Amino acid sequence: MKLALPILTLVIFAAVIFVSTNAHASLTPEQIKNIQNNCTNIKTSLGQLQIADARLRVNRGQFYESLASKLMDSFNSRLSSNKIDSSSLVAITSTFRSEIDTFRADYSSYAQQLSTTIGINCQTKPESFQDSLLSTRDKRTKVHQDVLALNQSIIDYKNSVDTFATNFGQVKPTGNQ
Amino acid sequence: MMEESEVKQTFWSEHRFMLLIGLVIVISIVLTIISMFIYTSSGAEQLDLSRPGYISATDEIDDNDKVTEYSSTGAVNADTIKEFQKLYNAQVDSNAKVDAFGGDPLNPDVLEASADSTTD
Repeated sequence: MKLALPILTLVIFAAVIFVSTNAHASLTPEQIKNIQNNCTNIKTSLGQLQIADARLRVNRGQFYESLASKLMDSFNSRLSSNKIDSSSLVAITSTFRSEIDTFRADYSSYAQQLSTTIGINCQTKPESFQDSLLSTRDKRTKVHQDVLALNQSIIDYKNSVDTFATNFGQVKPTGNQ
Repeated sequence: MMEESEVKQTFWSEHRFMLLIGLVIVISIVLTIISMFIYTSSGAEQLDLSRPGYISATDEIDDNDKVTEYSSTGAVNADTIKEFQKLYNAQVDSNAKVDAFGGDPLNPDVLEASADSTTD
């Protein structure tokens, strides 16, 4: 009797581990057949997407970095050197930079997951392949959300500059004019 | 004792060049492993489009940085703010045209459909 509770706990624990390690996306036999039949073509599509996204990552990354360093930072510095309050613009720039870091990390996670998916044999392991594909899809969606957040910060900065420009006549700078 | 010492000295003097070569090879292997680890873990690998299979992607990389730099020094007045707005708004417009990582190309239904059409 004394051993019943620990044994029961152990059995439940083992069952949970077994279920979680063997949990696959529930696929119908028809879906499994579809994946197996189209395995080569699906992998070709994934390979093309991998190359296109790598190119996009490089181009977008360069753009965001240039925008932050060549425009946002420069404008903030200029206002600051003229002793004009630029705290709201600096805050947006700081948010933008942390969003670039998040974008970079999330893309890295997505790219690794995509490589893993491409590495799975979809003819012999269609269910594992499907699981990995869905995980990759979620990670790509996250990267897209990061891009939307970056775009929003770009717009926020523009709106702040517009507001600043409108109110500029009322602001009295104390620097060299 | 003297003989043993002489034998040892002879051994080291005879093989020290080989030891040097061996040491250099070991150090270079260790440094290569460390650099490959950093290359992979830092994410630099994903930005390296000179990898095998990615050469075609390098053709469409924007080599020229299209963001014009704004000077961080100088006066702030209506003209200089306008100049900044012109430069910045041009980038906002170009960014709006790109829907990066949008769509849902990894939707299993989309993938299977495109695979079907490829087969056809």
